[in-house]
Amino acid sequence: MRLRVPVLAMMLFVVCSARAQSPPPPDQTEQIRILLERVQQLEKRVADLETKPAAAAESPVNVAAARKPEAAPPPGPVQGHQHETAETQASVGQMEVHYPSLQIRGFGDVNFSATDQKGTNSGFNLGQLDLHLASALSRKVTYFGELTFNAQPTGYTVEVERSIIRYDYNDFFKLSFGRYHTPIGYWNTAFHHGAWLQTTISRPDMVRIGGSFIPVHFVGFLAEGNIPSGGAGLSYNVGVGNGRGSIISRPGDAGDNNSNRAWVANLYSRPVKLYGLQMGISVYRDKITLPIVTATGNEFREWISAAHIVWTKENPEFLAEFANVNHKNILTNAITNNQAYYVQVGYRLPWFEKSLKPYYRFEHTHTPLSEQLFTNQNLVGSTLGLRYDITNYASFKAEYRNTKRLPTDPRVNGAFFQTDFTF
Amino acid sequence: MNATIKRVMTFLWTILCASVVLHSSSTAQTSRGADIAVVVNADTPVADLSLSDVRKVLLGERQYWNSKLPVVLLIRAPAARERDVVLRVIYQMSEAQFKQYWVAKIFRAEAAAPPRIVYSNDMQFELLTALPGAIAFVDSRNIRPGTKVLRVDGHLPGEKGYPLR
Repeated sequence: MRLRVPVLAMMLFVVCSARAQSPPPPDQTEQIRILLERVQQLEKRVADLETKPAAAAESPVNVAAARKPEAAPPPGPVQGHQHETAETQASVGQMEVHYPSLQIRGFGDVNFSATDQKGTNSGFNLGQLDLHLASALSRKVTYFGELTFNAQPTGYTVEVERSIIRYDYNDFFKLSFGRYHTPIGYWNTAFHHGAWLQTTISRPDMVRIGGSFIPVHFVGFLAEGNIPSGGAGLSYNVGVGNGRGSIISRPGDAGDNNSNRAWVANLYSRPVKLYGLQMGISVYRDKITLPIVTATGNEFREWISAAHIVWTKENPEFLAEFANVNHKNILTNAITNNQAYYVQVGYRLPWFEKSLKPYYRFEHTHTPLSEQLFTNQNLVGSTLGLRYDITNYASFKAEYRNTKRLPTDPRVNGAFFQTDFTF
Repeated sequence: MNATIKRVMTFLWTILCASVVLHSSSTAQTSRGADIAVVVNADTPVADLSLSDVRKVLLGERQYWNSKLPVVLLIRAPAARERDVVLRVIYQMSEAQFKQYWVAKIFRAEAAAPPRIVYSNDMQFELLTALPGAIAFVDSRNIRPGTKVLRVDGHLPGEKGYPLR
């Protein structure tokens, strides 16, 4: 008996809470469906009426009615339909694309963090406020832009994250110019700056905003499209641009700092028979010129090779990415290799309107002691969290992170909370 | 200790039963009705698509019928059976996932606009005839002249093996 009472209470709680989360009860959905069917029947009936000979409209009764407009009866089915047709035509007119057709979407997030790292404070912080602009300039020319407003100790900074004009020839060739997120790997071009888009609060360290492991941004031109490949579902991106600037975490927005262009190539496959799977490889080549000349010179060749495999459905979600960054000193020929990877798994739970998604990510970054360009980027970290979608356009996330940089550093534990949204 | 395990097991069993009941009631609602036809503007240079081709079109991975004719996607508003079938069979997404998919697609600069929402068959057929390259999903009982019904995987609506039902 002692066992039954809590069990019954639990059953009641589970069923009630599950029901409480349901958007419209099945009855209401059924009513909407019946109403829609009714609308369709009426539309059919009206179409039948319209096909009747036009002479019927000129019948004595109608002529009489036309002669006495003040005595006209209330609108009948035909008049009602004429009104509906006019409305439909107006809707059709509204749905025709007008150029330019600017659409603006915003993303934002608010965070709370607390860690046991010495010298840090717990507290709230405002994440990036991100505005995304998309505007079709004609049937084949489109502009895309992304601006972020970033909270700083002394105010806000505004950054042009992306500014792209693209000409579509067809599905196999689209050419664009501007500032991109460099198409290396998966995350950097899949999630951009809106935290709401990604499952987790934080990005993997290898594609961290403001990080330098891979060049997150790229200024130049990019060709992209599908490759006729049957069931393999191949696509490509090939680009040429300025590459890293004097500050290696930034691209040369205002101009390159050497006369050597960087190039990037990305090939990925979305197999037709495995809907949800994407796998790809990327290479990036650049010459880096540092502003300060040292005894070992200031010029380096950079080769980045990367691979990714992702399963984008959420039952489960699986993301894995690896990158190797090779640096060669042009003066001394000294070579270093830096590696980073992450593996992230998430699962959309079937309960509570599928609003809950627990996830886990392991990531590892290794930079050798002899590395000449990167300051220490070593990291071994785990992230465990839960995402709760409050609505279709807002979520709460809670995350526990355990990270360690150098072997001599202590492990850092942290709790992070975020609410993020799009508007 | 045994009592605790028993309670935990009962709790898990209750959640499992509740989810099965809720899931079965939600799937039962979408398992009846006529086939959903894939209908295009009469001038569209296509007559037969595989289901994976239809999926590519709906996912925005195929955006052109040919280099001069862009695809114009039309999708019924929520609660219409046509939309339920498209989401369940082709997108394999929930309503929320569908909305999020298109927000992300535009944000990635892979598409300039989401599919256009249509609220009735009248509106759908007006747009199908008015917009070159338009593609829509229509209850096969409501097909009207002046448009083209595509074969999917070689089958027309009503034929055995037709996938959109």
